[in-house]
Amino acid sequence: MQSAVPRNFRLLDELEKGEHGLGDPNVSYGLDRGDDITLSSWTGMIIGPPGGVHENRMYQVRFHCGPNYPQEAPQVQFITKINMSSVNPHNGIVDPSNFRILGNWTSQYTMETILVELRKDMNSGANKRLAQPNEGETY
Amino acid sequence: MASLTRRIQKETERLTNDPVIGISAHADPANPRYFHIQIAGPVSSPYEGGLFELELFLPDDYPMCPPKVRFLTKIYHPNVDRLGRICLDVLKDKWSPALQIRSVLLSIQALMSCPNPDDPLDPQIARHWKEDETGAIRMATEWCRQYARG
Repeated sequence: MQSAVPRNFRLLDELEKGEHGLGDPNVSYGLDRGDDITLSSWTGMIIGPPGGVHENRMYQVRFHCGPNYPQEAPQVQFITKINMSSVNPHNGIVDPSNFRILGNWTSQYTMETILVELRKDMNSGANKRLAQPNEGETY
Repeated sequence: MASLTRRIQKETERLTNDPVIGISAHADPANPRYFHIQIAGPVSSPYEGGLFELELFLPDDYPMCPPKVRFLTKIYHPNVDRLGRICLDVLKDKWSPALQIRSVLLSIQALMSCPNPDDPLDPQIARHWKEDETGAIRMATEWCRQYARG
């Protein structure tokens, strides 16, 4: 079994993967500020999946990684308005009790995992045809 | 958790019992592969009088791969970026299993004495260093006074 990678080194690995675009091409992510030595505040982007109301829309998502990340999940909040069962309609916060990846979080998951799963969830039966706010509106 | 190799135990003991002057390294109580480091700014460098905090992690493949190290204290140095990541050959392609945590920390201390603007990690600071060394050193001293008070 692998030994636990400390928070900061784990986040630097994620940053490097994000900077080099090594993951899923439909999502991207990076630090909010290039000099945030605490590595806490991140922004991700999701390109809406084809075949539903989210097709070709761009969604901006904010992450906050606390001191116990990755043992504890980050806080996840949509900046771009979206109508989706797992997202609080008033403030864009992704509700861990309605979103499996956050509710059953393990330290193997990454911010990329969250973005990829959010994108999948956009095309779930419950979400695929929901009426959406105007494109580009923010909370 | 992967077993802690005898080598890592030995290195940790030696770092504690026979420390290098100007450097302290302590294993984290919760993770014996994670070290909290302090390096005193070398004499006659812009960092003299400052105390710099770093963190170091030994990945599972250590000593076949180098430790990961970064500055936690802000430092104005051409080979350190804004997140504290360090550009140093022994942390990359010049790593050899014959090196140790101790040798890496000594190399970082030496890098603080001799910045290398020809192999920069932060191009802006490197340009400053090459075009106006006096001004760059003044800035490094200023940052040291501001952020590295220990």
